[in-house]
Amino acid sequence: MKLTRRILFGAVASAMALGLAPGMLAAEPRQGGELVIISTQAPRHLNPAVQSGIATGVPGTQIFASLLRYDDEWNPQPYLAESWEWADDGLSLTVNLVQNAVFHDGEPITSSDVAFSIMTIKANHPFQTMFAPVEEVETPDDHTAIFRLSHPHPALLLALSSALSPIIPEHVYGDGQDVANHPANNEPVGSGPFRLVEFRPGEQITLERFDDFFIEGRPYLDRMIIRIVRDPSTLVLAMEAGEADMLPYFSESQGIRRLEGVSGLDFTTRGYEGIGALNWLAFNTRREPLDDVRVRQAIAYAVDRDFIINALHRGTSEPQRGPIIESSPFFNPEIEAYDLDVDRANALLDEAGHERGSDGNRFTLTIDYIPGTAEQQQNVAEYIRSQLRRVGIDVDVRAAPDFPTWAGRVSSGDFDLTMDLVFNWGDPVIGVHRTYLSSNIRPVIWSNTQGYANERVDALLDEAAQEVDAERRTALYAEFQEIIADEVPIYFLNVLPYHTFHDDRLSNIPVSIWGAMQSMDEVYWSEDR
Amino acid sequence: MGTIRYIFRRLGYGLILMVGVVVLNFLLIHAAPGDPAEVIAGEMGGITEQMMADIRARYGLDRPLPVQLGIYLANIARFDLGMSYYFDRPVSQLIGQRIWPTVLLVLTAQVIAIFLGVVMGVLASRRPNGPFSGFVSVFSTVGYAAPVFWTGLMLIILFSVIVPMFPVEGMSSARFRGGGFAYALNVAHHLVLPATTLAIIFLAQYARLSRASMIEVLGADYVRTARAKGLGEGPVIFRHALRNAVLPILTVAGIQFGNLISGALLVETVFNWPGMGRLAFDSVLRRDYPTLLGVLFCASGVVVLANLVTDLSYRLADPRIRTGGR
Amino acid sequence: MAKTDTIPEAVSPLREAWGQFLKNRPAVFGLALLSVIVGLVLYGHFLHDADPYDIVWMPLTPPGDEAGIWFGTDFLGRDMMTGLLKGGGPTLLVGLSAALITVVIGILMGALAGYFGGWVDDLLMRLTEFFQVLPALLFAMVLVTLFSPSLWTVAFAIGIVSWPQTARLTRAEFLRIRELEYVTAARSIGAGNGRIIARVILPNALPPLIVSATLTIGVAILFEAGLSFLGLGDPNTMSWGLMIGQNRNYILDAWWPVTLPGLAIFLTVFAVSLVGDGLNDAFNPKLRSR
Repeated sequence: MKLTRRILFGAVASAMALGLAPGMLAAEPRQGGELVIISTQAPRHLNPAVQSGIATGVPGTQIFASLLRYDDEWNPQPYLAESWEWADDGLSLTVNLVQNAVFHDGEPITSSDVAFSIMTIKANHPFQTMFAPVEEVETPDDHTAIFRLSHPHPALLLALSSALSPIIPEHVYGDGQDVANHPANNEPVGSGPFRLVEFRPGEQITLERFDDFFIEGRPYLDRMIIRIVRDPSTLVLAMEAGEADMLPYFSESQGIRRLEGVSGLDFTTRGYEGIGALNWLAFNTRREPLDDVRVRQAIAYAVDRDFIINALHRGTSEPQRGPIIESSPFFNPEIEAYDLDVDRANALLDEAGHERGSDGNRFTLTIDYIPGTAEQQQNVAEYIRSQLRRVGIDVDVRAAPDFPTWAGRVSSGDFDLTMDLVFNWGDPVIGVHRTYLSSNIRPVIWSNTQGYANERVDALLDEAAQEVDAERRTALYAEFQEIIADEVPIYFLNVLPYHTFHDDRLSNIPVSIWGAMQSMDEVYWSEDR
Repeated sequence: MGTIRYIFRRLGYGLILMVGVVVLNFLLIHAAPGDPAEVIAGEMGGITEQMMADIRARYGLDRPLPVQLGIYLANIARFDLGMSYYFDRPVSQLIGQRIWPTVLLVLTAQVIAIFLGVVMGVLASRRPNGPFSGFVSVFSTVGYAAPVFWTGLMLIILFSVIVPMFPVEGMSSARFRGGGFAYALNVAHHLVLPATTLAIIFLAQYARLSRASMIEVLGADYVRTARAKGLGEGPVIFRHALRNAVLPILTVAGIQFGNLISGALLVETVFNWPGMGRLAFDSVLRRDYPTLLGVLFCASGVVVLANLVTDLSYRLADPRIRTGGR
Repeated sequence: MAKTDTIPEAVSPLREAWGQFLKNRPAVFGLALLSVIVGLVLYGHFLHDADPYDIVWMPLTPPGDEAGIWFGTDFLGRDMMTGLLKGGGPTLLVGLSAALITVVIGILMGALAGYFGGWVDDLLMRLTEFFQVLPALLFAMVLVTLFSPSLWTVAFAIGIVSWPQTARLTRAEFLRIRELEYVTAARSIGAGNGRIIARVILPNALPPLIVSATLTIGVAILFEAGLSFLGLGDPNTMSWGLMIGQNRNYILDAWWPVTLPGLAIFLTVFAVSLVGDGLNDAFNPKLRSR
């Protein structure tokens, strides 16, 4: 009894905390200063054209500019592209580049660099759906690029933003070497607001203001340092001690609660809508007894999402009920949420023919989790073990000592239940479809490893991928989300509680949908640190 | 005269050991579940089968294991440690960047531990049953029995958070620019806590050892003679006894080098010290075989060298060993 | 049979050492502490019996905040007291098994090398050097990722990397003792090699080996804690190391879930080391007085 009251109190308190938005009213931006960003993510190299992910994305978007960027309400904004226009049939997009843009070596940025970059990304980037319909990029003059599509592709604008499509210099990367492991990936010649000074792998990346950046007067900062720290408690202490100024992508609840109370620090939870990091419990729908939808529903009812959010994550995370992040305009709030209902779970299991044995157990399952992010994955798996015991399901937690061990099990279908953490990446075409299309049941992670197949879902997703009308597209996704909610190939738990902590004298901290994975040319110090 | 030949023989033999270490670990790590392409896929947020196959082909992971081992050994013979799968740059470059922080940390810790250990041991040996002697044995046991990462965390909380005297992490501050003496100072400031943490574990052994050998030596005939000649306690301890008591400490210090590297791994983790231990740990998790094997190769090389140096200084300190012995 | 009875029994120094040991106050204290710890681990369930995996209260409840949860809860809301009592068994077991593996391999290698000498010695000592050159924790990490972490893997990994020191010690003892008169005597009356090794030399070589084995238990427990801290412990068996590993991200605000098992490990290793030191002093009369 007392337990529930405490949990409720915690939830209210955290909701109040989240309501406090950081003061963003800024005076005249000031030039100069140095920003130390601290992160656990160690990039392999610095070229986002051939390496997706946050680790490369954060420094990569400072070094390279893209055609577009997005604001905090999912609207495209000009960046390297001054303007852009769709053809009426939706089969071509004309982009006009800014005139004065140059790479860090002084060469002008032209439409042929754009064409080269897009085709390189199409050939090398893991997110194949981004540019699959792009047949060619025409370059009628140095500052015009025309994208020719094989079918309408509403996700294209988003794919042209942020870390997803950096504009890289053809005169450097077009030398015939494989771009995927080009030496220049470690010493890039970029197009963005900051240029590389030093890259010490796994340690530190030092960037410096690029004086000939194509936006007049930007960036405001003289220098940006990305320091890589592997231990979350060290991150927290370094922020407290003022050894770093900004901590993006931070999701450890204990550290969040601690840093919230540190004077001189501010935080925001905005800036993570684009990446859409979802934490969920996946079922291997090919295996008995999980091939029975009633068993999957029973497990969903037996697991208490509120406990995970309020007790395990101390109220820092937001609930997630469906496959598309709830802050996206495509999210359908009408779907079944599977709030805790142990009686219903028991009834469903009985109905499915899994009576309790003499020891009270119905059957045994294993659960895997991604090692390294304990609070989102391992702790939830441990909780699920103790929770499912209540409905007569015995669960073995199978630890993986490291990521490749987990990835090997999941990609080969050797699992019953697994915790998983999957990113939406802005448009559903990029990050959502892959999990549910029956054509994407493949032996690689973050494909449809659930083995889920539904013809209606396949048809809906194929149609939505090409639907130019936003309202129609939303309706298609709404129906898709209903089917997924009914058939529970996945039980959705929460959005990763990403927070950006920063020195409160920093202004214009990145809160667009891409957060720190978009150019930080607008960030400045409102007073000296 | 035989010393040079001895050194070469030992070095040659050490090299064989190092290659043995690499071969054993090569076979073990390749047998472990999970492959490097999965790691890169994970870092990318998911990739296609074709890209997985490309990655495996690029690093030769699609070849039979004996062929891979052969290629690797052929490269090792040319002192080429290969390319890191994860960082896509030469392993030698990564190790070159990380080896000095580890050497600095380990040597500093070793010096602190030996110095304090000997001082404590000598003081304790003067009254083997006295209260200070008891204190030394209890204190050194306490330091040894506490898990090293725990000691480290406690030191951070005490001296970086509660009393902010020392920096929390790293080998130099992110903001620091410049070089020379100011940089050395900055590094020294960062070095205090990690080196102390690492020294604490080994302090116990040195204190215990020097206490024991001092007691033994102080009872020996030549010391009695020196005393009988009316030499003061100070000269007796420092000129006669300590010199002989240092020999076993040297031996142990050499043997400890291997353990010190293990301890360094944990300390580097706690203090975010950019050393080889962390690199190796991350490489295991990332299945970055070339980097892991490169670190093992160098780490075992360091142990081989440390043992050799120990033996040589032993030979210098004690001429008897030069003629006899193995 | 009758023949071998005439082999002169080596005078066992054990009884005499025991007397010395009892005079050593820190050692006796260590032994008492160790007995209490082992007692709690073996019979703790009479005091408090529950499933250490059960979530009993709000996560990270401080000790003493709630009646009945005297040691607080961990990051999942599991009772720390249950964890400490139930986690001690596996921890001690890892320590003991690792020490056993160390001692068995170490004594075997060292005895054969020291007794036979020649090429056997050369071969075995090369092998020993090989394992000494191998960085222990890194090698244990490789082994644990290869076999996936479990109590036995961890114990095996620790044993594999720690035996060389015992082997060297054993060899040195065997080298010394095999030249002594009573060994020559035993050989002269036709005792076999196996018998001499096991029945004549080994008992006399035992004292330093006992000390070393005792200390190895402590080292192994610390080693397990280190592996767990790195996230490579057995996640399915509650142990003190696992408790530290799983709770370590919360240490800044909740001291107890890391510090209590840390303290338990510390006290155990401390006690074991005091006992080991006491044995060492007791077996080594030179150290007793000037």
